[in-house]
Amino acid sequence: MYGRKGCQLVKEIASGEKEQLTPFNSDLFDQVIAECSQHYVELQALIRNMQEKGLDVQTSKNEDHFGALIHHLSLVRNKRCLTSYMYNRAEILRNLIWKVGPVLPQEILEKLSHFEKEYFKKHSASLKSYMSRIDLDLAVDMVPPKDPYIQVRVLDDIGEGIVLSDEKSVNFARHSMHLLKRTDAEQFIARGLMEELTG
Amino acid sequence: MANYFDIDDILAEEELVSVVFQKAVNGVGIDPSSETDSVEPGSKVELPFWLAHELHLRQIATVKLPPSFNQKTRLELGADAACVDLRSRCPYFYEFGCKIAPLVGDRDMGSFLLSAFKNRYQEVLAKAHTAAFAAASKFLNLLTKEETNLYEAAQSSMAAFKKWRIGGPRFQRAAVLGRKRKPTA
Repeated sequence: MYGRKGCQLVKEIASGEKEQLTPFNSDLFDQVIAECSQHYVELQALIRNMQEKGLDVQTSKNEDHFGALIHHLSLVRNKRCLTSYMYNRAEILRNLIWKVGPVLPQEILEKLSHFEKEYFKKHSASLKSYMSRIDLDLAVDMVPPKDPYIQVRVLDDIGEGIVLSDEKSVNFARHSMHLLKRTDAEQFIARGLMEELTG
Repeated sequence: MANYFDIDDILAEEELVSVVFQKAVNGVGIDPSSETDSVEPGSKVELPFWLAHELHLRQIATVKLPPSFNQKTRLELGADAACVDLRSRCPYFYEFGCKIAPLVGDRDMGSFLLSAFKNRYQEVLAKAHTAAFAAASKFLNLLTKEETNLYEAAQSSMAAFKKWRIGGPRFQRAAVLGRKRKPTA
């Protein structure tokens, strides 16, 4: 049936968990585009058919016209499915910048297509330039903290020599505990590399 | 019209409806019973709603009321709305019902959908707050997509309320990263 593959593509987003990316399905994506080209070829053939019979393509409503109409509608439908697939993924990507920060972990990078990686890079660059122009980090927690420092535990080997905002270099070995500035710790917690210690 | 990029709207329009063609159509492979690439007037074909709708508006084909909205379903919903398995009938029961109503000229559709929703809504909310996880999965299979969204909204707002009351760490691992795995020692 026409438009079935495009719908499968959209279904992939719907069946995944909310705000979770599924791997970019370039295989199915290309198949839908191929289906579009096929519709276009058949639509052209029907129009030619009408011209050969000497009919006015604009006004005459014969069975060729209706066939061309169905191909046209299927094209429009496929277009909607394809753009919606890209649009919804791009929306998740844009949200990722706020939640995870400009550095994406490997398991998410693997799911992106080449163009999405490019998009993410450019989007985070423009956000960064905006934030540096207004001289404010907009990605930090919105609620004013009671204490600018928090106690954290490192969950994974992050590595040595990470320079924090006070220009000191720290060694984040696994299971070590640190008292850090909230703003420094936030992005590590978001990426799941640290946890906040409370109480 | 709903948002052009709305996933649920796209999927709701993929529901099949049976139509009867009034005009002949050439060069399309949509009638599985036909051997050539054409459709004869009077042939019955199952088409997705997005196509059937446009064909109906142009009087190329007429749409018939889908079986998910037939008299039997209405009687079942009238008897005990909360126990009817709407998902297997039509995962977008309400959305699709609203879309199909003007095409089939059904005047009762609106009030029928509203009463079905009202009767089921109460059950959805009650179950969202009380049911244990094991019992919930059986009940969740009966819900349409719209009702599942409501159910999840109710649960997440309850969870957010509890979190707010108890307090806890403000920062957490971003939910987008998926399930947390224990780092291998």
